[in-house]
Amino acid sequence: MLVSLNWLKEFVDIKMAPFDFGEALTMSGTKVETLTIVSENVVNIFTGKITKIEAHPNADKLTICTVDLGMDERVIVTAAKNVFEGAIVPVAIDGAVIANGTKIGTNDFRGVLSYGMFCSIEELGMNTDLFSKEIMEGILILPENTPLGMDARELLWLDDVIIDVELTANRSDCQSIVGIAREAAATLDLPMAEVTGYDATSESNAEIADYLAVRIEDPACPRYVAKMLKVKKIEDSPLWLQIKLLNSGVRPINNIVDVTNYVMLELGQPLHAFDYHSLQSQEIVVRTVVDKKIVTLDDKEREIDESMLMITNGKAPVAIAGVMGGENSEITEKTSLVVLESANFNKGSVRLTAKQLGLRTEASSRFEKGVDPELASVAALRATQLLLDISACDVIEGMIDVYPQVATLKKVALDVNWFNAFVGISLTVEEVSSMLTRLFFTVKRISDTVLEVEVPSYRMDIELKEDLAEEVVRIFGYDRIPGTIMGGETMVGGKTPVQKFEDSLKNILVGQGYYETLTSSFTSEKRLRGLNTQLEDNLIPLINPLGEENSIMRHTLIGHQLEVISLNYNRKNPTGCFFELSNTYQKNSNSGELPIEAKKLAISTYGSGDYFELKGVVELLLKHSGIDDPDFVAGGSDFLHPGRKAEIFVKGIKLGEIGEIHPIVVKHYELPKRCYVCQLSFDELFESASLDNKFTDLPKFPASNRDLAILVKAEIPAAAIAAIIRKNSGEILESFELFDVYTGAQIPDGYKSLAYALNFRHHERTLTDNDINPVIDQILGELKQAFDAQLRE
Amino acid sequence: MELELKQLRDRCIADLNAVTELKTLDNVRIKYLGKKGELTIALKGMGKLSNEERPIIGKLANEIREEIESNIMAQKQFLERQEIEAQIKEESIDVSLPGQKHQAGNLHPLTTIINDLKEIFLGMGFSIAEGPEIEWAKYNFDYLNVPQDHSARDLQDTFYYQDDIVLRTQTSPVQVRVMEEQQPPLRIISPGRVYRCDEIDATHSPVFHQMEGLVIDKGITMSDLKGTLDLFAKKLFGEQTKTKFRPHQFYFTEPSAEMDVTCFKCGGVGCKVCSNTGWIEILGCGMVHPNVLRFCGIDPDEYSGFAFGMGLDRITMIKYGINDLRLLFENDLRFLAQFK
Repeated sequence: MLVSLNWLKEFVDIKMAPFDFGEALTMSGTKVETLTIVSENVVNIFTGKITKIEAHPNADKLTICTVDLGMDERVIVTAAKNVFEGAIVPVAIDGAVIANGTKIGTNDFRGVLSYGMFCSIEELGMNTDLFSKEIMEGILILPENTPLGMDARELLWLDDVIIDVELTANRSDCQSIVGIAREAAATLDLPMAEVTGYDATSESNAEIADYLAVRIEDPACPRYVAKMLKVKKIEDSPLWLQIKLLNSGVRPINNIVDVTNYVMLELGQPLHAFDYHSLQSQEIVVRTVVDKKIVTLDDKEREIDESMLMITNGKAPVAIAGVMGGENSEITEKTSLVVLESANFNKGSVRLTAKQLGLRTEASSRFEKGVDPELASVAALRATQLLLDISACDVIEGMIDVYPQVATLKKVALDVNWFNAFVGISLTVEEVSSMLTRLFFTVKRISDTVLEVEVPSYRMDIELKEDLAEEVVRIFGYDRIPGTIMGGETMVGGKTPVQKFEDSLKNILVGQGYYETLTSSFTSEKRLRGLNTQLEDNLIPLINPLGEENSIMRHTLIGHQLEVISLNYNRKNPTGCFFELSNTYQKNSNSGELPIEAKKLAISTYGSGDYFELKGVVELLLKHSGIDDPDFVAGGSDFLHPGRKAEIFVKGIKLGEIGEIHPIVVKHYELPKRCYVCQLSFDELFESASLDNKFTDLPKFPASNRDLAILVKAEIPAAAIAAIIRKNSGEILESFELFDVYTGAQIPDGYKSLAYALNFRHHERTLTDNDINPVIDQILGELKQAFDAQLRE
Repeated sequence: MELELKQLRDRCIADLNAVTELKTLDNVRIKYLGKKGELTIALKGMGKLSNEERPIIGKLANEIREEIESNIMAQKQFLERQEIEAQIKEESIDVSLPGQKHQAGNLHPLTTIINDLKEIFLGMGFSIAEGPEIEWAKYNFDYLNVPQDHSARDLQDTFYYQDDIVLRTQTSPVQVRVMEEQQPPLRIISPGRVYRCDEIDATHSPVFHQMEGLVIDKGITMSDLKGTLDLFAKKLFGEQTKTKFRPHQFYFTEPSAEMDVTCFKCGGVGCKVCSNTGWIEILGCGMVHPNVLRFCGIDPDEYSGFAFGMGLDRITMIKYGINDLRLLFENDLRFLAQFK
C-alpha cells in the first residue's frame, strides 16, 4: 500500500528523517518496503500565468508566450499545443532542473530568446500512469485559482515521500492513512489529530426519508449507511485533493468520485456514489439476485449468479456489493442527486465474488481483509464534510443507517506477570499499561498485576492475551528483548538410525563419483508413456496442476533421472553419474488414509562404464548395508533392455531393479545410446540391512586357496554356479570370487569358462587337503549333475 | 707357508676389488672361504707344520680369514649402495606430471545446506522429524489456525489431490503431527519439500523446500526464541553475523516475527546481494499460538514454545550466490560439480 508522508503528517507531527521513520515503523510491525521521493531532482519550477501568446516570426510550430510569474514576467518559447492565454502552468525558469536531471537555461529559438520552459507531468516527475495520454503529452494546466510564483515542489507535493508498506493479513485496520497514522503515533509516542466529519447533530428532520429507504436482506451485509447530497457542480476536484489521490496511486476523476476515493484512502472505508435518478426507485435492497448479467463502471459486462451479493433498486442490481458499481447508476455530468453508500460487507462474501468475477478493486481488496462496521457512519459523515468543503454539494438532511447487530467492544485480560514470564523481560504494570494506551486500547487495572484491556472496534485481530503480548512487545521493541539459551530438560536429540543410513548411502555414492540431483515431484501421463510402460492405476493426479506435464505425482524416479541424463547429454557433457534419494507417491488402497509416500534411491550413469560397473556400485551399497548375498535375477520393467536387466532380491524380498535403458526409451528421451539405471526401494533396503558393527578376531590360521576353472554352457548364469559353490562348501569357505570369464580358442562353441578363486579357512586349525578335496569334489559333482559342467584342465 | 697365505690374501683382495656386481661377490667368498676354497685347503696343510710354527701360522690364518671376511662385507656394502644409487637414478620421474584422474561426486547444494542446518540444530539437542508431503488439508490449514476463508486455501494457491487432501504448502503440519504424537518437551526440525501453485521462474518454483523448527517445554520464552535463532544465524553465516527481529504475522504463532541477518557479503554496509539494505530476510518465527497447542492436546497454560520456518532454496541461493532458482532443479553437471 502506498502512503503519502505529507498526508500522514497532517495527522501525526513526524519530525524525524523519512528513512529513520521507515525503520521505526518497520520495527513496530508495519513493514516499510521502499521510501520514494516523488521527484527528487526538480528545482526552480514555479507557477505562471500565460498572459499573451504570439506567433513566432521564424517558425510555424513555435509560439512566444509572455508569462506572469507573480513577481516578474518572462518570455517562454514553446512548441506545446495545449497552452492558451490565461492558462496557469508550471514554468521551469533559467537554472531549473527537471525530473530527468536536465538543466534548463536561456535558449535561442530561431532568433527569439526563451527564458525557461513549460513542464509536462513527466518533466515534473509525477506518476505518468495515472493520467490520460492527452494530459500526459501536453503541458500540465493547473486550476484557475492557483497562486502565481509558487514553487511546484510545494504546490504539487513533489517533495512528498511515498512509503510503500507491506501490511500483514491481520491488520485490515491499517489499510488507510489514519490506520498508519495510528501506528506512527503509537510507535513515536506522539499525539494524533482527529478526522473532522460533518456534524449531523444539528440536523433536524430526516429529509432523506422522502427520497430513499434501505433494506438489508442478507447477513453478508452487517451495516448499510446512506447519505444523500444535492450536486452543485460536477467538476475536477481541487488540486490538493487530486494530489493526495495521485500520491496514493489513485487517478482523479471528478469531485464526487474523488471524495469517495479520498475517504477510502484516508479512513479505509470503501464508499460508492450512485446517481439517484438512475436508480429509478426509492429503495435500495441488499440481496442476491437471479439476474445473469450486470454492466460495471468499467463498461464490462459481468456474469453474475445467486452466490454474489448485490445492491439492487428492489428489482435489478445497480452494483456488485463491495466490488464495483453498475454502469446503470453511474455519476455523470447530469447527476443532480447523489446517494452516498458507506456500507459494510462480509469479507468472505466479497472475496469469493471478486475471485469468481476475476475483478479485484481497491474496495474489494479492503473488504476482503475486513473493514470495521463502526467505520461506515464515520466515513459517510467525513465524505459529506469534504463535499461541502469543496463546494461540490449541498447536504440533504438525515442519514440512513441500517445496522441490525451493533458490535460490542471486546475485553481481554492481561496478567503482567504472565506477560513478563512469556516474553522473558520484566516490565512494570504501568509500563505495559502505557504502551497499550499508546496503541489506543482502553486499559483498566483490575488487580495487582492484571489489566482489563478494552479493544477498539477496528482491532479485529485482538482476541487473546497472546495478541496483547505482541502489541506490547512490538511497541517495547523486539530488538530490546534479550537473547537467552533455552532452559528446561536436557535433550539428547540426534539422528535416527534410518536418517544415518540415508546419509551413509549418499556418502558412498558421492565417494564413487556420483552427483546428487534434485528433480521435481511432478510428472504426467505423457512423460510416463515415454518409459515404454503401461500406466499403473495407482497414480496420484492433481485436481489443479500447472499444465499437463506436471499433472501427476511421480511414482518412480526413473523418468526424472533420464531427463537429467538427456539434458546433460544434449549439453555436451560427455559423461554423467547421478543419484537421487527422494519420495515417490502412489494411491493408498485403504480409503480414508493419505496416499503412500515411498522413498526410492535412483542411480544412473552414461558415457562411461557399463552394466557391471553400475552393478558393482549397487553391490557396494548392499555390502555396506550388511547385505552379502543379493540375487540379481534376469528380468525387470519394460523401460529396460530385455537382455540387460535384472531384479534385485535379498532373501526373497525385491529391493529394486537395474539395467540398461531400452533402445525405444533411449530414442524417446533423446538419450545417449547406452545409459544404465538402478532404482531401489529405500524402505525395503533399510529393512533388509543389518547395520550392527561387531568385531571378530583376526584369523590365526592360514587360508588355503584353490582355483577352479569350470567349463559350462554359455547360457548358464554365473549366479547358478556361485549358488552351488556356496551351498556345497559349508563353513570353511571364507570367500570366493569369479576372476575370469573366457570364451574363444580352446573353448568349444556355445561354452564358456568361468574361473573362480576359492579361499578356505578354519578358525581353529590349519586346513589340509583332506579337508578341502572332498568339498571340491562335491562342488564339481553337483555342477556336473546340474549343468553338465566340467573342470577345465 | 706364511708367504703363501699372504699371497692368497692379496689375490683375494684383488679379486674382491674386481667384483662389480653383487651376485658375483659370493663367488669370491666361495673361491677362498668355501669348503673347497683356497684358504680352507691351505689350512688343511697346517698338519704338516711343526709345533712351533702351528700356533703362529694358525693365528696368521685366522687374521687373514677375518681380513678377507671384512673385505667381503665392505665390498658388499659398497656394491649395495651402488646398486641403490643406480636404481634411484634410473627411476626418477617428472613429479610435475598430472596425477591420475579420480572423480568424487558431490551432494546437491541444497542437501549440503540442509546438512549444515541439521548439524547446527542437532548440536542443540534437536531431532529431525518427517511428515507426509501429501497432507490432510486440516493439518496444513485448520490445525495451524488458518481461517476457513483464507485465500491460501484457494485452488490458485494450493495443489489439491482431493477436496480434503493437499500438497502441503509449508512444513508446518509436521509441527502438528509431532505435537499430537509426542509429549513435551519437544525440540525438532523438519526439512522437506513443499508445494505452491507458482509458475517456475528465477525466484519461484511450484516445488520448493522449507525447514520447520519447533520447541515446546515449560517456561520457554520469546527471549529463548531470539537467543536460539541468533545462535543459529551466527553458526550458519559466521560469528560476526547480527540478527534483527521484526514484528510480523503468522496464523500459527503469536507474537510472530521475521528474522533478518546482516548481509554476509557486505557485512551490513549495503550491496547488491542485500539490495543495499545491509540485511537479508531469512526466516519467520514466533511463539506457538495457544490455539495450535490446544488443537494438539497441549495445555497452553502449562507449556509454551516457539516455532520457525525458513525457505531452504532461498538460503542455498543466498549462501552460494546462485542467481536463478531454476538452476537448482536443472541438474546440469557443470552446475552440480561446482559445490564441494
